[in-house]
Amino acid sequence: MTDDAPLTPPQEDQALAAEMALGLLEGAELQAAQARMASDDAFACAVRDWQERLAGMAEGLTPVMAPARARNAIRERLGHASAPLANDPNARRAWWRGPMGALAGLIAVGAMVAVLWLPGQQTAPAQPGFQAQLTAQDQALRVAARVDGRQMIFAMESGPAPEGRDWEIWWVEPDGSAPVSLGVLPRSGDMRMTLPEGMEPSPQIQIALSDEPQGGSPTGQATGPVVAIAPLTSL
Amino acid sequence: MSDARRSELETLISRTALGDRDAFEALYEATSAKLHAVCLSVLRDRPEAEETLQEVYIRVWQSAARYASNGLSPMTWLITIARNRSIDKLRARGSRPVTAPEDAAAMVACTAPSPESATIMAQERRMLDECLSRLAEAQAGAVRAVYLEGVTYADLAAREGLPINTVRSWLRRSLLRLKDCVSQ
Repeated sequence: MTDDAPLTPPQEDQALAAEMALGLLEGAELQAAQARMASDDAFACAVRDWQERLAGMAEGLTPVMAPARARNAIRERLGHASAPLANDPNARRAWWRGPMGALAGLIAVGAMVAVLWLPGQQTAPAQPGFQAQLTAQDQALRVAARVDGRQMIFAMESGPAPEGRDWEIWWVEPDGSAPVSLGVLPRSGDMRMTLPEGMEPSPQIQIALSDEPQGGSPTGQATGPVVAIAPLTSL
Repeated sequence: MSDARRSELETLISRTALGDRDAFEALYEATSAKLHAVCLSVLRDRPEAEETLQEVYIRVWQSAARYASNGLSPMTWLITIARNRSIDKLRARGSRPVTAPEDAAAMVACTAPSPESATIMAQERRMLDECLSRLAEAQAGAVRAVYLEGVTYADLAAREGLPINTVRSWLRRSLLRLKDCVSQ
């Protein structure tokens, strides 16, 4: 294929299908291609195949965890938010400190008593716990991380990020793959999250904090310096 | 993507289509970090990407019933919804008319692939990185920028200092080379 020869009709179709899949068409060309997709199965399949092919690029992106509030907002917008007593602890920070928390605590204690008391009940095997203490060299920054089963909790003890900046949390695998963002640390208090599948806590994992613009790295990759890093250690 | 993961995601989507909230939650858990990365890649703005991610999952909930008919693999369907929604936002930002139909992912009316062609597509995807690296750097960079950052022909033309038509025929040829390479 030289760069000057015009494209053959099959090549034209392929190029058009690729442009359609990429969203590069506009105006009359876009309308014509849309109409063709509805009537020409081979062309629709060519667009579909380009979507599959190109999605490989997105699969290569480093995953970036969204904060728990995104999930809660989806639940609320779909009317899936559950009754207060069945609340996910992610729903509000430190919910257990309020009166509902006390009530839920009592219910939890009651449930535990029931589980312990009922004969023949199988409890899930305890999953090992891990922790990491993240401190900056000057000790101003202290963050405690704890993994409990699939739950991960971060507690900001001291040293919130300067105004206009945020500390972003990264999960660093030992194989040198790109670190995965777990989100940004709240300026005070705790942050709780569920580890997604594929992220298995072990002593080989390191947790790092990087200095990022407010709201977190705009690219999904760490852009600022790492201010603290520590391995997970077994509890 | 392994066959097991593919069929797991397909199951979650078809249960979501039936209104199963637990399946929807599990689907979110399994895929949201990747889709958030797609939104961020296009929008390069944390709050906007987060807002877009919410809209993506609302759309997933609403259109899960149409998934089975579009013939896309589950991850491609999800990625395409996230990418299209993000590109709409990106273009709305520049008050440029929105051109990508929001529901383009659901519009593909290609009959479901035979298992054989699904295997071929999986193989092509594995080849993609290798084939991109075989293109000239500028060509591969342009293909990536168009897919991952929502760059348009007008943006590319401005970037390269070339007329739009020149950039367009150059990118079309890059895409055809890419296809020839992955389907070898």
